[in-house]
Amino acid sequence: MAIEIALPRPVAAGRFTRLGGVFRALVRRPDGLIGLAILVVFTVLAIAPDLFVGPLQTAVTGREAGYPRLSPPTAGLPLGTDELRRDVVNLTVHGARVSMIIGLLATIITVLVGAVVGIVSGFAGGRVDGVLMRITDFFLVIPTFVLALILTPIMRDVLGSGSREILGIRMTLVVIVIVIGVTSWSSTARIIRSQTLSLKERAFVDRARVIGAGSGHIMRRHILPNVINLIVANTVLVFAGAVLTETTLSFVGLGDPAQPTWGQRLEAARSIGAPGLGAWWYFVPPGVCIVLVVFAFTLVGSALDDLLNPKRRQRR
Amino acid sequence: MGGHFVARRLATAFVTILLIILVNFILFRAMPGSPERVILRGTPNVTQAQLNAARERWGLNDPMFPDQFVAFVGATVRGDLGYSFVARGQTVADVLAHRIWPTILLFGLGEAIAIVLGLALGALSGWRRGGPVDYLGNGVSLILYSTPYFLLGMALLLIFGSWLRMFPVFGMVTAGATYAGFLNYLGDLLAHLTLPLITVALGLVGQYAIVMRSSIIETLSDDYVTTARAMGLREGRILRHHALPNALLPTVTLIAINLGYVIAGAITVEVVFNWPGLGTLAVEALEARDYPVLQGVFLLLSVSVVLANFVADLVYGLLDPRVRS
Repeated sequence: MAIEIALPRPVAAGRFTRLGGVFRALVRRPDGLIGLAILVVFTVLAIAPDLFVGPLQTAVTGREAGYPRLSPPTAGLPLGTDELRRDVVNLTVHGARVSMIIGLLATIITVLVGAVVGIVSGFAGGRVDGVLMRITDFFLVIPTFVLALILTPIMRDVLGSGSREILGIRMTLVVIVIVIGVTSWSSTARIIRSQTLSLKERAFVDRARVIGAGSGHIMRRHILPNVINLIVANTVLVFAGAVLTETTLSFVGLGDPAQPTWGQRLEAARSIGAPGLGAWWYFVPPGVCIVLVVFAFTLVGSALDDLLNPKRRQRR
Repeated sequence: MGGHFVARRLATAFVTILLIILVNFILFRAMPGSPERVILRGTPNVTQAQLNAARERWGLNDPMFPDQFVAFVGATVRGDLGYSFVARGQTVADVLAHRIWPTILLFGLGEAIAIVLGLALGALSGWRRGGPVDYLGNGVSLILYSTPYFLLGMALLLIFGSWLRMFPVFGMVTAGATYAGFLNYLGDLLAHLTLPLITVALGLVGQYAIVMRSSIIETLSDDYVTTARAMGLREGRILRHHALPNALLPTVTLIAINLGYVIAGAITVEVVFNWPGLGTLAVEALEARDYPVLQGVFLLLSVSVVLANFVADLVYGLLDPRVRS
C-alpha cells in the first residue's frame, strides 16, 4: 500500500476538471463555437433521423407515395427526388447517420492503433522503435487511399458480405471501417511518439521506475494521462479525415446502396450523370453536408490543437 | 552534399519500395481462391492437369518465402506485372502505359498551378496576419480543404458545363472528331482540359496556402527578421529576401509528404470528367475486380510518390545545410 501512495500521479487527478476548462475555452473562441454548433446539429440528425424525416425511403416506398422520377424541387419535395423516386431530404438526413457512425468507428480504430504504436514506439526505443517507425513512415508516404481501394474488395470477398450486421452496420460498411482504420493511423502514431519521447525523459518516469514500476504500468499510468490531451485533439482531426476517406471510397463505388452515406449519394448522382443533366438537387445537399461536417471537425480540431498541444501553446 | 546523406536517403527509398512490393505480394496471396485459380480465372473447364501445370509454371510449389517472394520481386523489377483480367491478352504494364500520360498532363499542370498560387496566397495571408486578405484567404483555404476534389469537380461541371455550356463535359477530346491540323486538336484538348485542371488546382490550393501561412508566421517571429526590421529595411524587402526563402524550406518536405494523400483526391477528379487517366482506370478495374491492374496502379503511384519524396529530401538537403549533418 505504501508503494501505491508513493507512486507519483502528475496529471490523472485533475484531468476531468481540466477537460471541462478546455471545453469552456473552446466555446469562447469563434471558430470553436461555430464548429461545435454545426456538429451538434448533425449529431442530433444522426441519432434520430426517423424523428425528422421518417424511415429511410426505398424504391418501393417512393413509388407508393407517387413521387415523380428525378423531379426538381417543388413545394412538397423541397429538394426534389432521385431516379428511384425517393425524397432527397430523406436520403440526405439518413446519410448523416451512416456517414457519422462509419466516421466515428473508423476514427476509434485509427486513434487506438496510432496511440498504441506511438506510445510503445516512443517508450521502448531501440529496435522496437526502429521497426515500428519504419512501418509508420511507410504508411505515411504511400497513397493509402489506393491501398484501401484494393484492400476493400479483397476483404469483402474473404469475409463475405451478405446481410450480416454489426452494430446495425452492414458487413460491406464494416469492411470500410476496418480498411480506413488500418490505413490511416500513421500520423497519429508520429505525433504521440514525439510527445512520448520527451515525456519519458521527465523525472516522474525515472521516479516511478526507481520504485519498481514496470514498463506497462508506466505507459498506462504515467505516459498515457500526459498524452491524452494530444489524443483528444488528434481524434477530432482524424474524424474529419475519416469522413473524407469514406466519402471518397463510396464515391468510387465501394459504398452500400442499402445503407446510403453521403458519399454513396454522390456516386449515385455521378453514375446517372446528374451534374451534366443540371440535376443539382441530387448531389448538392449531400455535398454541402460533407463540406460542413469536415469543415466543423477541422475547426474544432485545430482549435483544440491550439489549446491542448504543448508545442502550439508555446508558440503563442 | 555529403555522400552519406544521399546514401541514407537512397536506402530509405529502397526499403520503402521493397515494402510496397511486399504488400502487393501479400495482397495477391490474400485474394480468395488459390493463386492458380485466380490466374486461370475465366478459363472454362479447367482440369486438374491444367491446375498442376499452372502451379508448376508459376512456381507455386516452391516455398512462399523466400523463393516465391524473390521471384515476385524479380518480376516486378523487370516490369512484369502480369496480365489484366479484363483486357484479355494485354499485360498490366501495357494497360498502365496507355493511361499514364493523361494523368501526368492533368495532375502535373494542376499541381504546378496550385503550388504557385497556394504559396503566394499563403505568404500573403501570413504576412498580413489578421488582415482582410488573411481572414478571407484562410476561410476559403479551409473550405477548399474540407471539400472532396470530386465534389468540386461536380460543382464546376454543373455550373460551367451544364448551365453556362462553356466547356465540354466528357473525356479528353471530342469522341470521333477529325482535325484539320494539330492546332485544332490542341484547341479541343484544351477545352476538355480546362475544367478538370481548375478542379485539381483549386482542390490543392487550400492545403498549400495553409502550410505556407503557418510557415511564414513562424519565420516572422525569428530573430533575423526582427534584426532586419531593426536595421530599417523596407517591409517588402524583408519578406522577399529574409522571410520567404526560409519559410519555403519546410513546404518542400510537406508538399512531398502530402503527395500520396493528394493523389487519392486527384484521381477521383478524373472519374467526374471521364478523363482517361490512371484514376478512371483504377475505378474501372475496381468495378471489374481486375486485381492485377489495381495492384499495378498502386505500385506505380506508390513508387512515384516514394521517388518524389527522395528528390524532395535531396532538394531540402541542398537548400538547408543543417539537415545534411
